[in-house]
Order: sequence, then C-alpha cells, then structure tokens
Amino acid sequence: MVTAYVMVKANTGEADRLKSEMVGLDGVESVNIVAGDVDFIVKVSVDQPAQVKEIVADHIQAIDGVEDTQTYISMD
Amino acid sequence: MRFVIIGAGRVGLRTARVLREEGHEVTLVERDRDIAERARTADFEVVEGDGSREDVLEEAGVADADALGALTSDLNVNFAACMIGKHNGCRTVMRIDEDYREEIYQKYADEVDEIVYPERLGAIGAKNALLGGSIRAIADIAQHLQVILFTITDESPMKGYTISEVALPAQARILAFGKKEASMGIPLPDDSLEAGDRIAVLADFDVLGEVRQLLVGVETPAAAAEMGGA
Repeated sequence: MVTAYVMVKANTGEADRLKSEMVGLDGVESVNIVAGDVDFIVKVSVDQPAQVKEIVADHIQAIDGVEDTQTYISMD
Repeated sequence: MRFVIIGAGRVGLRTARVLREEGHEVTLVERDRDIAERARTADFEVVEGDGSREDVLEEAGVADADALGALTSDLNVNFAACMIGKHNGCRTVMRIDEDYREEIYQKYADEVDEIVYPERLGAIGAKNALLGGSIRAIADIAQHLQVILFTITDESPMKGYTISEVALPAQARILAFGKKEASMGIPLPDDSLEAGDRIAVLADFDVLGEVRQLLVGVETPAAAAEMGGA
C-alpha cells in the first residue's frame, strides 16, 4: 500500500469544481482546500507506486484549472 | 481605534503610516530584524516575532485591538494571524498574492472579514495615470461594481444642471460631490454642476458607459476605452 500527499496549486477561484473532480478520481482518499501557497492537499492511497504517478500526471494535472502539483510519498 | 498589522514590509508599513496619520494606534509585528528596525526608526511600536504565533500577537495587543491586518507575503502566516485575530474578536483583513485566491478565501475562510490584493489597487492607479483625463477609478467594490470620480468639463451634458436633475441609470448612485478646488462632501440636491466640479459615482460595469456619457460627454479615445477589469 502506498500513501501519497499531493499539493495542488490552482489558477482559478473555482475551488468547488476542482475539488469535486479530484474527489471523483479512483485512488483519491481525501481532498482538502487549504490556506497558504498551495490550494489543495490531496491524499492518495493506492497499491503500487506507479499508480501515484498515474493519478497525478494523467488525471489531476489534466483538470482544467490545475496549475501545478507536487507529490510527497509517505514513508510510514 | 487600535490596530495590529502583521508585516512591516512595503504594504504593512505604508498601511500603518496611513492609519497613524489618521490618529489611530498601530502596533506592527515583523519577524525580520532589519525590517523591524527600519519600522522602529519611523517611530512605530514593533513586536519582533512570527505573526502566526499566539504569544507574539498577544504581546502586540491583539486582545484589545479593533482590527488585525495580516499583510505579509506569506499566506500561511496571514491566515494563521487572522484565525488568532478572529478568536480575539478583531475584524480581520488578509493580504493575498494572486487574484484567483480572492474567491477561495471569501468562500472558505470564515476567519477573514476582508481580502486585499495590493496589485489590483496598484493597477487601478496605473490605469488612471495612463488614461488621464476627467475620469478616475477609485476602487473596485465588487467584481462588477466600481467607484469612479468624474470631473465635469465644458462638454458635459449635465453642466449647469443641479444634482437633483441628474438622472443616472438604475444601477448607479452619486456618493459624493465637490466644487472645483474644494473638498468632497455629501451631495445636496441643489448643488449645481460646473466645469471643474467632481462627482463620485458608484456604478455597475454595465452602466459605466452611460454614466460617463452623461457626466463627461464625449471623451478622448483613450479615456473612452473600457474601464472595467482594473
């Protein structure tokens, strides 16, 4: 089991739409809108490390309004 | 009133200056020693420390402040400071660094009463300087609402009429009026509009063109350009 935290920066004020699109992705456990220099923290829980890349690169980054992502894999 | 301002950089220090000039009491919070020292040289009371920490804000007097301005360039510090400020019963104002965030904080950050984006205010000033002429945008009140200062010219269709005779569109209101070279005041129905007089109007973007046409008449092409989207 691999857990990862993805920091997502948006370029739109439509936080609700981005949140619901990310919540709907397979492997996404939670999405929180946060204050600070990123706009969302997405928790991803999957079987293989490769699936983390798939969710982030293929799905989250493809959402219109997502500017940038940064992924942290949990070590415990 | 008593204010606590977090951040003594260009936005924070300037805000503190304006408040002090108007007779208010201001305490600044700054974590950088050199910047704090510079503010002290300008005779401000400065608490050195991290504005996202409760003990630091307590030292700055957040408990009996009327309002707190979180004006650093660090959004995490700003938001944490607003949370502490709200807990202490302050009105809270938070600076953001990118305009799209305004919507997000307005919706989700209950701890923040008002959001400021300094670059937008700078853009209004720059736009006015570029346009010149007899129209000046003063502030964006909401996404579709702006306060504009018009100077009556010889070409103004309303020149010679009184305020009560000015029939503005439904989505516009006269806020203030000033005779030529006199200060602005509350508009009275009998005030007459002469060249050089100024009139401040709150208007929806949709009717700005109509208001401009009525108060200024035909302007130079530059000034007649779209006023919205400062």
